[in-house]
Amino acid sequence: MRRHLRAILACLATAAIVVPLGWLWWSSLMPDEYSVMDMGYVDLGGGVQPAAGTDHGEGQAGHDGHVDISTLVAEDDGPADVQLDLTAREETFTLASGREVSGYTLNGSSPGPTLRAVEGEVVEVRLTNENIPEGITLHWHGIDVPNAMDGVAGVTQDSVLEGETFTYRYVAEQVGTYWYHSHQVSHEQVRRGLFGAVVVEPAGGVRSTSGEGDVLDVEAMVHQYGGARTVNGQEGDIAVPAEPGRVVRVRVTNTDNGPMTIWVSGAPYKVVAVDGHEVNGPDEVEDMALVVTAGGRSDLEIVVPEVGARVELAGNAIVLGPEGSSPAAEDAPVEFVDMLSYGEKGSGDLDPAQADRRFEYVIGRAPGFLKGRPGLWWTINGHRWPDVPMYTVEAGDVVTMRIANESGEVHPMHLHGHHAWVMSRNGEDATGSPWWVDSLNVRDGETYEIAFVADNPGLWMDHCHNLPHAAEGLVAHLMYAGYTTPFMVGGDHDNEPE
Amino acid sequence: MRTVYKVLAWLVALGVVVQAAAIVYAIAGLGIWVDRDGGVLDKAAFESEEELFPEIVGFIVHGMNGTMVIPALALILLIVSFFAKIPGGIMWAGLVLLTVVVQVFLGIFGHEAAIWGGLHGINALILFSLAVYAGLRVRNMQRQAETVGPIEHERV
Repeated sequence: MRRHLRAILACLATAAIVVPLGWLWWSSLMPDEYSVMDMGYVDLGGGVQPAAGTDHGEGQAGHDGHVDISTLVAEDDGPADVQLDLTAREETFTLASGREVSGYTLNGSSPGPTLRAVEGEVVEVRLTNENIPEGITLHWHGIDVPNAMDGVAGVTQDSVLEGETFTYRYVAEQVGTYWYHSHQVSHEQVRRGLFGAVVVEPAGGVRSTSGEGDVLDVEAMVHQYGGARTVNGQEGDIAVPAEPGRVVRVRVTNTDNGPMTIWVSGAPYKVVAVDGHEVNGPDEVEDMALVVTAGGRSDLEIVVPEVGARVELAGNAIVLGPEGSSPAAEDAPVEFVDMLSYGEKGSGDLDPAQADRRFEYVIGRAPGFLKGRPGLWWTINGHRWPDVPMYTVEAGDVVTMRIANESGEVHPMHLHGHHAWVMSRNGEDATGSPWWVDSLNVRDGETYEIAFVADNPGLWMDHCHNLPHAAEGLVAHLMYAGYTTPFMVGGDHDNEPE
Repeated sequence: MRTVYKVLAWLVALGVVVQAAAIVYAIAGLGIWVDRDGGVLDKAAFESEEELFPEIVGFIVHGMNGTMVIPALALILLIVSFFAKIPGGIMWAGLVLLTVVVQVFLGIFGHEAAIWGGLHGINALILFSLAVYAGLRVRNMQRQAETVGPIEHERV
């Protein structure tokens, strides 16, 4: 009898451990196909219930009165001003530096061709997938395109499978430095090369801060291929011939998953644009470093000195100067440019005091299961993916969002389809040039308040651009009431946006 | 069951040995990469998921072994202890599991404040000792049982 009792107790004790763990594991599994609209819970940010209602929890499209987001395309249907055909391939290829890597190319190279357009031009890009089995897409990072052109697999389109073609079309209204990259299995595909630069020039051409028109325009796409750091696929000191006195604009794009520190040796510089937005009255700085967060862009303006100057890009450098010049490399400065106070205060055209909705995006960490895997996973407002907030707005709303990072790690937060104005950091109000971002470096312990106008209807991702973090659940969505997506994560196209 | 208990306890101890070796191997490799090859380590490099230097595998082993393998072994040890009828066996298995949980959290908090990392190093020695002892006391019981004889063995 005692033996039996003992065995029963042992079984009960085992069940007390195994059953809850098993249940947690089982309940974290995702179906083969689901709509992101069904994820998590509606967050109205303290605003009114939208008249159009929210489609949340009802799954796929087809609801009366709801606008299908795949209809949200560019209004201009005339001939395109800039047309680019891009063919994506998985292959072993040679970087500009001569290094051989295995990865993805666009028209045979990585980075892919730079898309250059002039403000107001209609851009059309035909993307063809030659042999990438997982499928691909292109997301226009920082460009506030119509929702159907946003290129997020399973949210705004189906992934482009082998042999298929998808056409992206939009009006290049925003001047500045942007980039395109795949948003299908993005944490793999971006790392392995599916990206390129986008530069939109002002109608009158690129000008210096003092108004000169003869500006040398240099792109600097920083990326790591197989652990090798590159700038436009090159390595080491990259010579860019420029006569002394010439004004150079270096467009630095960080395509990697963590923030990088850049600085200039041998010359002062100005930060003339951040995330495509011109800085108002940029100060000239010297012996100061600048952080470019993952996915972010910073444009530097440098006047080439007699002996040349170096733009230090984490192990590589762009060397500006007369042919053969070799300016000395300087150590990383201790002081950093702080965009919160950099430049001259301009007039804000957005009044956060009138905000219709105030959202919270508090990033934390908690142990548990994610898609069946045990671990310590990211949380948003205390909830683990997929139980994340669905930030719901109505077109025209003024929105504020408090992003607080309590997770122990830095997060480059990226909101699709909108640019946000940074109001404050850790309670300290912004005093510099209006600082507009699409990719914001939020360090552990920091709290930012940002504001934006909900003026681009659809369904938009709001995620960490440390792309593996997005795959680990640091993803939420901004949804416009009255809109619905027909696309599903998973399914026939194996859509997997992260 | 007793042998299973003993082996599991010692596997936990072996896991701790692997942890110590793996992390120092990785840090040594990192030092060599920076010192000799001029490697640049920043957040972007850290997050690149690339093999910056071969010894980086040590970090991966430490992470997987520490958050999956050892906790799973400790959990199974506790479950086995329910059936193994070892005097004090459940308590020692529970202590091992508790120390593992503390160790995982210290490892994670070490990313926020380095002092937790220091305690993680000390707690590793505690865990190792506990796991070795939990196994040893079973071995001693088994040996005693052998010398006393099979009848006694049945009754224990």
